[in-house]
Amino acid sequence: MPTWVVPRMHCTQSCHGAPIMHQIQLPCPSPSTDAALLPSAAHDGPVYAMVSTERQLLSSGKGELRAWNWSDIVKKGCKEAWSRRPPYRSSLEVPEINSLQLNPKDNSILLAGGDCAVHAMDLESGTFTHEFRGHSDYVHCLALRDQSQECLSGSEDGTVRMWDLRTGAQVQLIEVHKYEECSRPQHGKWIRCLATDCDWMVCGGGPALTLWHLRSVTPTTVFPLPHCQQHVMFYQDLILSAGHSPAINHLQISGEVRAQIPCTPRSVHSLCINERSPEHKVGGAPPARGAGSDVTQREGLRVGAGLGLE
Amino acid sequence: MSSDSSKKRKPKVIRTDGAPQESKRSRADPDQDVKYYSEEVEVELRDPSKDYELYKQTCQELQRLMAEIQDLKSKGSRDSAVAIEERRIQSCMHFMTLKKLNRLAHIRLKKGRDQTHEAKQKVDAYHLQLQNLLYEVMHLQKEITKCLEFKSKHEEIDLVSVDEFYKEAPPEISKPDITLNEPHQQTLARLDWELEQRKRLAEKYKECLANKEKILKEIEVKKEYLSSLQPRLNSIMQASLPVQEYLFMPFDQAHKQYETARHLPPPLYVLFVQANAYGQACDKKLAVAIEGSVEEAKALYKPPEDSQDDESDSDAEEEQTTKRRRPTLGVQLDDKRKEMLKRHPLSVTIDLKCKDDSVLHLIFYYLMNLNVMTVKTKVTTATEMATPISAGDLLSPGSLLNCLYPGDHGKRTPNPANQFQFDKVGILTLSDYVADLGHPYVWVQKLGGLHFPKDQPQHTVTADNSLSASHMEMTMKLLRMRLQSRLALHKQFASLEHGIVPVSSECQHLFPSKVVSRLVKWAALPYEDYLELSYTKDVVEAGLAEDTHLYYTALVERGTAKLQAAVVLNPGYSSIPPIFNLCLNWKGEKTNSNDDNIRAMESEVNVCYKELCGPKPGYQLLTNQLQRLCVVLDVYLETESHDTSVEGPKEFPQEKMCLRLVRGPNRMKPFKYNHPQGFFSHR
Repeated sequence: MPTWVVPRMHCTQSCHGAPIMHQIQLPCPSPSTDAALLPSAAHDGPVYAMVSTERQLLSSGKGELRAWNWSDIVKKGCKEAWSRRPPYRSSLEVPEINSLQLNPKDNSILLAGGDCAVHAMDLESGTFTHEFRGHSDYVHCLALRDQSQECLSGSEDGTVRMWDLRTGAQVQLIEVHKYEECSRPQHGKWIRCLATDCDWMVCGGGPALTLWHLRSVTPTTVFPLPHCQQHVMFYQDLILSAGHSPAINHLQISGEVRAQIPCTPRSVHSLCINERSPEHKVGGAPPARGAGSDVTQREGLRVGAGLGLE
Repeated sequence: MSSDSSKKRKPKVIRTDGAPQESKRSRADPDQDVKYYSEEVEVELRDPSKDYELYKQTCQELQRLMAEIQDLKSKGSRDSAVAIEERRIQSCMHFMTLKKLNRLAHIRLKKGRDQTHEAKQKVDAYHLQLQNLLYEVMHLQKEITKCLEFKSKHEEIDLVSVDEFYKEAPPEISKPDITLNEPHQQTLARLDWELEQRKRLAEKYKECLANKEKILKEIEVKKEYLSSLQPRLNSIMQASLPVQEYLFMPFDQAHKQYETARHLPPPLYVLFVQANAYGQACDKKLAVAIEGSVEEAKALYKPPEDSQDDESDSDAEEEQTTKRRRPTLGVQLDDKRKEMLKRHPLSVTIDLKCKDDSVLHLIFYYLMNLNVMTVKTKVTTATEMATPISAGDLLSPGSLLNCLYPGDHGKRTPNPANQFQFDKVGILTLSDYVADLGHPYVWVQKLGGLHFPKDQPQHTVTADNSLSASHMEMTMKLLRMRLQSRLALHKQFASLEHGIVPVSSECQHLFPSKVVSRLVKWAALPYEDYLELSYTKDVVEAGLAEDTHLYYTALVERGTAKLQAAVVLNPGYSSIPPIFNLCLNWKGEKTNSNDDNIRAMESEVNVCYKELCGPKPGYQLLTNQLQRLCVVLDVYLETESHDTSVEGPKEFPQEKMCLRLVRGPNRMKPFKYNHPQGFFSHR
């Protein structure tokens, strides 16, 4: 479950739908001992993605995008500001929204999830402007290339597609599982995580975590991580990733595993970096039923929060 | 010269010679009768003073003569003899005069004395008279004063006032015409009236006494009549016993029970009363009885005076016995312990009958020195049941009633004051003696009205009726539910051990018609083994696995896949659901720590248990959970994505209808079964 770190606040989600906020206390935070500020359920199902604007926290889970004002959250009143549902085609089942990505340039938000499409919604008007269809299975993750206004989506069908946000057309298709260097058929072909930095993209999931050069569409580095990775991000000169193992991997672009910081959750679904605090950089959250999360210091001190079963 | 003796005594004149005295002789009366010389007469005639002068003269003459004699004698002349003689005769004469004078004087004296005597006598007589009269006067005066002081008794009587008297008294008594004038008569009349009144009252009094006697006799008669009634009533009651039995109204039995109940100690009495009341009011299938020896109970409360009589004997006995016991201190301590843990000889039994004719027997004891109650249980079932191996603990008396209320494990004494008593005799905890004494559950104390505040020893905790009453209904319900659930589990285990998961017809809709995975093994698991399993750590850490719970292991198989489940059964089944922990051995070992789908399977069984409860009262929860386990294993295996690198078909072809095979960032499988469409979807 993704986390969003705001200065001094650390917000995690739980599978039961409540965005739970923990206040980080210096010097050594242990979020399990902090009081959850918003214990009430925000969604009636799991919360799969969260992003934050200046004024609002946006969360999504079982088919709806909900927004919460930060001012309300801080004052401990928890009433959603608005909630929107993308236009779904099927009516049998409400598809989940697995990933949210903010596009600050035109104040819109991209949603992707169970209906195999990527939707774009304008934050001011709340209308859904674009729908990018092409995936044959549900979309796991999104990444945005700011300069060229394109977005990448990784999906269960094993492909990474690039979409032009202005025209709505699919620009590129990478079938990751077909590349022998990275494919791992024993795990599957699903792409769980994506991150992009200029011309580079790193993706992982069933296939091994690989660094791609987008223009030439070649996998340059395959990282030797045995577990399926569930979140990956570029940070400074490193690539941080985490997945089915209880560790946060610090990887160098060359393919070397520089460090593997152990963390409490047995499987990490999202990472986030707190830019403003000098000490506490990385927070990760496991797919726990309760709110269990971990905040680790960069240099490898492990501060544990336990996994709570409900 | 001597006179005749017959003459009266009169001074005889003895004469020798004497001239002057002759005169006297001549005075002799010629009368022979008067032979005395009445000198008395002469005395009266002579003058005393002349006699006195004569006396003096005589004396002087005598003196003179004597002197002359003396002179003559002294001179000693011869002629003097004649002179002397003469003188001598003269002096004799004088002597005679003197004698006469002496006589006369004597007579005078005698006369005078006689006169005085007479006078004195007279005076005395008068004096006496005077005294008499004075005495009489005094006497009379006394009498008078007495009379004057006399208070008649009539004055002590309170007479009615004068006015009333005149009003009430009849005129023949009051006589107003006379009495108004004379107070004396008035008083008399009043006294008469008083007398009259008193007579009347006395008569009335006699009458009343007679009445009273009569009435008393009547009362006596009636009493006798009543007392003769009692034995007749008794005989009627005896005769009605068969009728009572016939009509199922055992009043006599109840009466006897109440009699015995009087000897119960207060907590057991409260329990008895409340249970009886509850049974009569709400629950016809509850039977209360009292067991034990009433004589022993009576003996407990015997006053200590009896023992004092035998004190000397018992002291001697004790000495002997202590001599024997001294070498073994342990035995002494043991005896002290036994004494402390002594039970009251009477116990209350409650039999709870359930719908299927199985009976839960509860026997309540009271430990006198510790002031706690304990309970022993026994279960009799309608039919003989073969006990499956895994069900050994289900109905065992030691653990049947564990945790009836949460946390009430009955291992420690609920009375905090007992700890101090235990320390004295070296008892560590009551749980060592529980097998013999029964379990001291908190709900047992509450039924007996004993309320022990936590962690604060109180001096006296007395049995409280209202506490017992408020808990009675709840506890009886829980007891029945407990028995029923255990019996249901018993039956289920018998079937599970044979590899069959019994699913009743009401619950068929929860599962698809075709379930391929099978339950292969069902066995009881010791608590220590459960703790050691690697995949149960979360449950243990969450405090959901305690030593009062029951643990089992189940093995579900399909093809090469083996799913092991560790089950924690809370004593409060089925209101508290069992908890499953899974470990799948198929292409590696998968548990909830490394596979989210296993966790999802666990949550399907553990968290979504409400759907699986089945028809009330929900005893089928366990079997439904096991069936669901088989179903989700089927789903898991069939929806596993095919590994294209490995040759050969999928081991488990997909037969289940699923909307989507995976969903969400963690790629969950569809474990939820939808009825009646029959497809699987995500929750």
